[in-house]
Amino acid sequence: MSDKKPEKKKRLKTAEKLGKLMADYYTESAMVKAQKKPVAWLSSVAPVEVCYTMDVFPVYPENYGTMCAARKLSAEFCAAAEAKGFSTDLCSYALNNLGSIYLNKGPFMGQGLPEPDLLIATEHACSSMAKWWEELSRHFNVPLYIVDSALPIGEDPSPRHINYFADQLRELMEFVEEHTGNKFDMDKFKEVLGYSDEASKLFLEIGALRKTVPSPISPIEIFTNMFPIVTLAGKKEAVEFYNELYDEISELAKRKEAAVPNEKYRLLWDLFPIWYNLNLFKYIEEKGGVIVADVYATTFGGRVDISRPFEGLAERYVGNPLLSYGVQQKTELYKQMIKEYHVDGVIFHSNRSCRMASMGQYDVKQGIYEDLGIPGAIFESDFVDPRSYSDEQVKDVLDSFFEILESRG
Amino acid sequence: MIADFQERYAKRHELAREWKKEGKKIFGYFCGYAPEELIDAAGIIPVRILGSLDKVTLADSHLQSFICAFGRSCLDQGLKGTYNYLDGMVTSKTCDIMRNMPSIWSRNIEIPFVGYIGAPAKRTKAARECLIEEFKVLRSKLEEFTGKSIDDDSINQSIETYNESRKLLKELYEIRGEDNSPLSGSDFYHVVRAGFVTPKKEYNKMLSSLKRELVSSKSPRDGKVRFLVSGSTFEDVNILKMIEEVGGSIVADDLCIGSRYFWDLAEPASDPIRSLADRYQMRIACPCKHPSEERMERILDEVKKYRVEGVISIVQKYCDTHLFEYPYMKDVLEKNDIPFLYLETEDRMGEEGQFKTRVQAFIEMLR
Repeated sequence: MSDKKPEKKKRLKTAEKLGKLMADYYTESAMVKAQKKPVAWLSSVAPVEVCYTMDVFPVYPENYGTMCAARKLSAEFCAAAEAKGFSTDLCSYALNNLGSIYLNKGPFMGQGLPEPDLLIATEHACSSMAKWWEELSRHFNVPLYIVDSALPIGEDPSPRHINYFADQLRELMEFVEEHTGNKFDMDKFKEVLGYSDEASKLFLEIGALRKTVPSPISPIEIFTNMFPIVTLAGKKEAVEFYNELYDEISELAKRKEAAVPNEKYRLLWDLFPIWYNLNLFKYIEEKGGVIVADVYATTFGGRVDISRPFEGLAERYVGNPLLSYGVQQKTELYKQMIKEYHVDGVIFHSNRSCRMASMGQYDVKQGIYEDLGIPGAIFESDFVDPRSYSDEQVKDVLDSFFEILESRG
Repeated sequence: MIADFQERYAKRHELAREWKKEGKKIFGYFCGYAPEELIDAAGIIPVRILGSLDKVTLADSHLQSFICAFGRSCLDQGLKGTYNYLDGMVTSKTCDIMRNMPSIWSRNIEIPFVGYIGAPAKRTKAARECLIEEFKVLRSKLEEFTGKSIDDDSINQSIETYNESRKLLKELYEIRGEDNSPLSGSDFYHVVRAGFVTPKKEYNKMLSSLKRELVSSKSPRDGKVRFLVSGSTFEDVNILKMIEEVGGSIVADDLCIGSRYFWDLAEPASDPIRSLADRYQMRIACPCKHPSEERMERILDEVKKYRVEGVISIVQKYCDTHLFEYPYMKDVLEKNDIPFLYLETEDRMGEEGQFKTRVQAFIEMLR
């Protein structure tokens, strides 16, 4: 550590461990083809637990998209997908992924992701997902399983919604068995679910430590620490990691140590970070604003009732607030979070790549203001494709927002 | 005769307000996945909410610039009170815009009833069972709303009326595809669209007399290039008219406001809910459903059957699922040596002028 420059040193002790978890995962991903281990590509909020149960290596093109964006590769990749006829208005996670495949390039040693033997995607994340993954299935000529949810946006899940999803999870296990030869084992499944649930519980608890004033963990730290819950849910390592992270953050919370100095305005963030410009959070912090609550990160946490493994796992995915809440429910959820996290204002990132999650933001903002008098700001951008990003426009919106916060004292 | 259909659509709100005065109940629905038969069986008139070419003014403060013109326009009309005669709406889980619309609509616009069907996207048996459950829930919600039970017989009767409608539309679709057909593609669009806002029994009479009228007439189409038109919803029928004015002839379609809406009939069964679920699940898929192959296969079949010389796709800007399928469709058509032209619309008045040059060039190439 001593040879590192001080500004490179991470604030959290667990950062090193996180780095190791990520490095291990990507080292394995580079070797997995040589080891002849089956590889499945998963969409966001696809049940990764299925992979760990069935001894299949999971790969996340979306997670990878965030990295391509951070390493300034996404513009080139999106353009490569557009050259094949995909509209520039489509989701940049998809464009980035398809482009990196067409160019066979990526951030790791110049290479792309290990090729999939299987594809598993969720339909309820958005209606684009199935289309993007159908394209992957045609491109690689490998089987695709779409996990579908029948829960209408804005309604509470009924047993019929849970059963439909749970039955598909059972079918998905058979699908993986059929295409890999690996056998399903209920005990292994329960063990994986146990780890997944425990990691989720810890991750949610870590997020909730931000109720402390000042916040003991920064938004960049929260978003970077999502890696294990997204990628390693179901692994013991994720539980061990979040235990350590929880201890570290709760210690900071006890000592009232601020993650960000000068915490003046506590803010709620909706929804995606701008992956190529996480520095925007720094800009917010310079203005005295700290993101202390969000549903994006916590969406990937969610408890699982292990006594009913398939239904329990289905409940975790179907009732996901990010994917199933309508304007009214989201407004109520945010109002509750505003109270619990002592929030002064809400920032909404309207993500051009995600019509699904951006629709309704204006109404949620309005609802919160009407009911609690808490102001909000909305800006438009794209989470992965930097080509039309206007730093000035975004900062203009934020500047006027901080003026409003200032005037409220 | 086509003028009658056009007038029906033009006066749709006026007519609806008259029904309202007569004490009838009216429900709106957004897309062809809403089970109209159930609404009809409940004694309620279903009307489809469609976009308009009017300037959007109020929806801008609720929807981002990257939401499709169709979604913006629907909400805008709602906010302006255009649909204030509605007693309720029934909607189905399809694309992201439609998925989110009910919650935004009901927060801002008074609507006494919202029935939202969690339609699965897949075509599996389990998905069917799930859709049956969704339809049953809608049935009881409707019963609760009207205070009257909806028995199987009345659903069967509605199925019959709707099937009649679809059969007639399919016959007209075939007439349109004949050599020297008197029915143009833009006329047919008017015919289909009027059906969304006319009680079906009355509409069936209109369709029957149109059919009678058309049987004896012919309109020379020699030298015109035979097109299949595919795509999402769009409001500006002038695009179709323009295609036909510059030397094209629309002989088949794969349109949301077209054959995708009426192609499939509900098979009569002892359990009408099951029959409806079969129909709505297995109908020609909108691209928002999974998988996509069957729709492409049908397009190829239609191309063969109607000796189509080129495919023109008209897609709403920001319509993700149609946009995602564009490279796939292009690929399928190229492999089958079928020329393809793609037009992206934003439902702006006068847009067809911009498309004209491209369609003309396409026709030149094909001649």
